[in-house]
Amino acid sequence: MKVTIKNLTKRFSDMTAVNDFSAVIESGELIALLGPSGCGKSTMLNMISGILAPTEGKIFFDDEDVTDLSPEKRGVGLVFQNYALYPHMTVLENICFPLEIKKVPKEERIARAKEMAKLVHVDTMLDRKPGQMSGGQQQRVAIARALVKQPRILLLDEPLSNLDARLRIEMREEIRRIQQETGVTTIFVTHDQEEAMSISDHIVLMKDGFLQQYAKPQELYDEPANCFVADFLGNPPINKANGVIKNGKIVLEGDCEVELEAAKNIAEGREVTLSMRAEAIIVGEAEKACVGTVEEVYVMGKEVLAYVSLGTTKVRAYIDAEKTFDKGQTVNIGLKKRGVFVFDKETGERLA
Amino acid sequence: MSSTPVKKQKMTLEQFKLKSEWLVYFLPFFIGVLIFTLYPIVNVFLTSFKVDFNYITKEFSGWGLDNYKYVLSDPYFHQALKNTFGYVFVVIPISTCLAILIATLLNQKIKLSGLFQTAYFVPMVTSTIAVGFSWRFMFSHNYGIINYLLGFFNIAPINWLGDPANNFYALCIYGIWAILPFTIILLLSGLQNIDPMYYTAAKVDGAGPIRIFFRVTIPLLLPTIFMVIMVNTISCFKVFNELFPLFQGAGVANNLYTVVYYIYYQFRVLVPAQYGYATAAALILFIIIFIATMFQRFVEKKINN
Repeated sequence: MKVTIKNLTKRFSDMTAVNDFSAVIESGELIALLGPSGCGKSTMLNMISGILAPTEGKIFFDDEDVTDLSPEKRGVGLVFQNYALYPHMTVLENICFPLEIKKVPKEERIARAKEMAKLVHVDTMLDRKPGQMSGGQQQRVAIARALVKQPRILLLDEPLSNLDARLRIEMREEIRRIQQETGVTTIFVTHDQEEAMSISDHIVLMKDGFLQQYAKPQELYDEPANCFVADFLGNPPINKANGVIKNGKIVLEGDCEVELEAAKNIAEGREVTLSMRAEAIIVGEAEKACVGTVEEVYVMGKEVLAYVSLGTTKVRAYIDAEKTFDKGQTVNIGLKKRGVFVFDKETGERLA
Repeated sequence: MSSTPVKKQKMTLEQFKLKSEWLVYFLPFFIGVLIFTLYPIVNVFLTSFKVDFNYITKEFSGWGLDNYKYVLSDPYFHQALKNTFGYVFVVIPISTCLAILIATLLNQKIKLSGLFQTAYFVPMVTSTIAVGFSWRFMFSHNYGIINYLLGFFNIAPINWLGDPANNFYALCIYGIWAILPFTIILLLSGLQNIDPMYYTAAKVDGAGPIRIFFRVTIPLLLPTIFMVIMVNTISCFKVFNELFPLFQGAGVANNLYTVVYYIYYQFRVLVPAQYGYATAAALILFIIIFIATMFQRFVEKKINN
């Protein structure tokens, strides 16, 4: 089912949680609502589910306007951050509960619940109470309970945040598998960029209630719309250096001149931020963009990370494990095309 | 190990102070418990087995079960048992159901809910006896507000306090009123401990308020309900205070003996005081309450599994 969100705004008494948000979510996709805490992503999810009423704007499921419909009439399946499994019911009873409300005959609802339990791999523990299960298993039951009523859309609120690191990777792949097997349009909220990058078809990146960029994960990484997007994605964090455009070159603080093809189209004297991913910086030989000084070299297993100063700014760069550099050595720095961006220093707008 | 023989040293005052420090913390409390709790309990237990015990001279003719035989065959004790059990079986279910209902309503986000919570708490901070007297007026045959209100439903005035047939009901109504605030407070705190996400989850699945109440709220509140029933059952078995403001005794025609009133009667009203009978009755009540509590624990465990 396709979800269309038009100019959605949610204001609480003293703050605007979501600001003029518009997006179209294609049928059958897995979408991540990504952003730092307080960016309005959970508010967004609650408005799609119908728990919160928007202040302005409209939500359409396919062509149906659901803005004023209550959650149960929208046909949404919701998985809560803390699962919200009823502790007094067994797994089977928990999964059956939504069907019980819909007055599905007992035999049919047990059959459907068992089928769901099988899909999420909890069919061997139907008689257990939630308290007797691990976090990952409870998560699976919560997904089964949300899916059993065949919702038009599945919504997950921070589905992985309560799990330990190993389980998190396992469960995110499980969510992907379950989503693909059922083909249900799914939206999940997360603040973890890696989580969003690894399983979603598209990412909605938000900040302070504003949509920053809505794109495929790789596109978000390779072609960030603004400085915030570039900052938010990637590990280690992207390197940033402030500078001014002079004679088609970027002059970084500390008089470090950087020659960059893209900089030639930017107006003279404009204050910019040069953002470079660690893997886009080539230390030593290659074609020279600027000159830097090696400050520190860390060997971390298969990777070698160097801290290099460009003018007064220190940047992290991956270097070839075979090359060796001394501390304080002056080196040529090359910049790859991919992973190097120029933003306006004030607005964060992408210039190149 | 060193081969020097262990010298038996005299403990210095410092060492003694260190070693006996715990006594300073322990004794004040323990002496209190000893005198005011343990001694009376043991004394009651022993006294109940003393035949022809004279409280003044402390003489008795021997050990035996005579007191129990007397109490168990006393028609007044039979009446006391009947009234006490009747009181428990009427007051507990009605007060528990009412309290759950009121606590659920108080737990809603309604205007003035703070005011209501205070209002329901008032009976708890007032004296049973003092408020009991105002209940006397409310129960009044000709002028009472209760009969006045019943008049709207075309119910003829009931002689609550004057007619022995109605005494028991008056006692129960008053008892329910007296027990409600404590029960409501406990249930309210139980309700507030339920995570609201369960309600949201049920609502998203389309559950209505009645289904949510019976399928989500009540099961999650069950531990508190059990606790409340247990505490209230124990206090209801000990019904006694409530008799005085309403009847100045065991009903208008000595028809409202309760077990505790019977105990009181044996050692406070009778001359000479019958301590043997009173203590025997007290131990019988203890056994009844003990069995009732164990039964409730058993039921609670059954339901939890």
